[in-house]
Amino acid sequence: MALIETKDLWKKYQMGAETVNALRGVTIAIERGEYVAIMGPSGSGKSTLMNLIGCLDTPSSGEYFLNGKAVAGMNDDELANIRNREIGFVFQTFNLLPRATALHNVELPLIYNGSSATERRAMAEDALGRVELTDRMHHKPNELSGGQRQRVAIARALVNKPSLILADEPTGNLDSKTSIDIMRLFDQLHRLGNTIILVTHEPDIAKHARRVLSIFDGQIASDEVVPEHTRMTYQS
Amino acid sequence: MITGSILRLSFAALWANKLRSGLTLLGIIIGVTSVITIISALEGMQDSIEAEFDKMGPATFFVQRIAMAMSEKEWLEKIKRKPLREEYTAMIEEGCDLCEKVSPGTWGQSDVKYGDRSLRDVPVVGVTSNRIEIVDLEVAEGRFHSAEDDLHKRRVAFIGHKVYEELFNGLDPIGKDIRVAGRKYTVIGLGKEVGGLFGAEQDERIYIPFSTHRRDFGSFDRGIHIVVKALSVAQLPEAMDQVRMVLRSARHVSFDKPDDFDVLTADTILEVLNNATRLFRFGLFGISMISIVVGGIVVMNIMMVAVTERTREIGIRKAVGAKQNHILMQFLFEALITTLLGGVIGIVLGFFIAKAVIAMININISPSGLAIAMGLTISTSVGLVFGIFPAMKAARMDPIKALSYE
Repeated sequence: MALIETKDLWKKYQMGAETVNALRGVTIAIERGEYVAIMGPSGSGKSTLMNLIGCLDTPSSGEYFLNGKAVAGMNDDELANIRNREIGFVFQTFNLLPRATALHNVELPLIYNGSSATERRAMAEDALGRVELTDRMHHKPNELSGGQRQRVAIARALVNKPSLILADEPTGNLDSKTSIDIMRLFDQLHRLGNTIILVTHEPDIAKHARRVLSIFDGQIASDEVVPEHTRMTYQS
Repeated sequence: MITGSILRLSFAALWANKLRSGLTLLGIIIGVTSVITIISALEGMQDSIEAEFDKMGPATFFVQRIAMAMSEKEWLEKIKRKPLREEYTAMIEEGCDLCEKVSPGTWGQSDVKYGDRSLRDVPVVGVTSNRIEIVDLEVAEGRFHSAEDDLHKRRVAFIGHKVYEELFNGLDPIGKDIRVAGRKYTVIGLGKEVGGLFGAEQDERIYIPFSTHRRDFGSFDRGIHIVVKALSVAQLPEAMDQVRMVLRSARHVSFDKPDDFDVLTADTILEVLNNATRLFRFGLFGISMISIVVGGIVVMNIMMVAVTERTREIGIRKAVGAKQNHILMQFLFEALITTLLGGVIGIVLGFFIAKAVIAMININISPSGLAIAMGLTISTSVGLVFGIFPAMKAARMDPIKALSYE
């Protein structure tokens, strides 16, 4: 079974008297170890799809299996549990706790699965090591550069060894040089066997993925493998 | 494990907003302090009154023409009663086999002088020598008068502590002569300082032998009161009945009429007193509760602000796997830590304020379990009641909306 399998996902929103169909029957399958970009202009439904895949929301209809578990009918707390164990989020705006150190930010997911303080610290230090921020772990977000903040966020996404890393416009708030660093990090994580889903509207960023899903008007418009010669991969 | 970690988060959040947490704390401290002050003061007064009545001993009761009247009508009815006569003492001793000790007493007020010092309207109480065996009159120096003194109608006086202080100014009073209503009395004993609300009464008195009092201060219209000690606490009600029977027959009360005298135990007096002050005590308590509620509203208000301010944090926590209960706990703990800490400080402050206030009427209080339990219960409930709504608001946030909150 694929890591992610959706069947005919619909998401409807009530906007006043009008019903808006943000997703109109999305059926996709993503295997373990894939590196997939989801592309689409704003309003296409890609954020909605990301929220559903990330278990932040439930579909109006349709089915979603994540790692074999039927997620569509889960309640808030069950979804929280899935997010905690299966998904690592990387956001455009980093979403770090401003008053907490890098280390504490990375420990965050571990608080909610009941790890002990010593376990948490060891795992968080390890994750920060993987994004090469060991020397910055006692800094607060406002003492770090944008790229460093995003690396803290990536460490937080990795710390629980999730099945899936879900990155929403991870370079949207970064300059081009820093963006290259971050994308290099994702390439590296992919080579180490992580499953990565990248949500972006930038074709250059999407080219890092092995496969691009284009979404338009709430439906999958295309599902293509990125040809080897156009693929952008940073070796390091 | 998770709960412990969340508790630490709550502490950290409060610590990060020291000024705000401090102001919220202040609201709770003021509220709890006022409640504890009131409770401690009331309890201290109550204890002092009870201790005073305890001196009477549990098997003791009083017979008086009028012990108390709860209404004007009752008073006007009772005022018609004839005084209790001296002979009743012997009749009770004769007719009540369950009475161990019977002590008549009478009292008046006189000016008292020693040298060039004088006191006006000092209560002068004439009692039989066995009174000291019934009522807990503690001797600091010298002695209480004896049956011998009483028999020979000697002019000897046992003076209360305050009388001593004001007349003697530190001199040894034993053997000194004082003038009571112009007559010379020899001081033979000094009472221990009692203090307290009613103790002051005892400190301000002079005790003289019963028969001396009857001779020197007249015995025609002046009634007496009688203090009786039953053989045991268990036999107290029966002893009271026997005394009533003796008196009813001596006073020719017909069988269909109520007693024309009052028979009371210390407990009854205490009960009546408590009933009379109940409304007052509840009123005070109620007023102090208002400040607690205000403190609670402050907590709720601050928590609402904190929840709104930290919407994004809530979103992040939920995204990484915090369940509703985890978020609920985090904010509820913040409210509870504030109110509990405020409660503890309030208990301590309240106790000392009450102590200072009550010291003005010579009552000493010690920390009471009731006040501590009340303080902790109140502050915990305030934290729960006023913290739960903001915490629920936080717990139920939609993670997507919370994450995009600016």
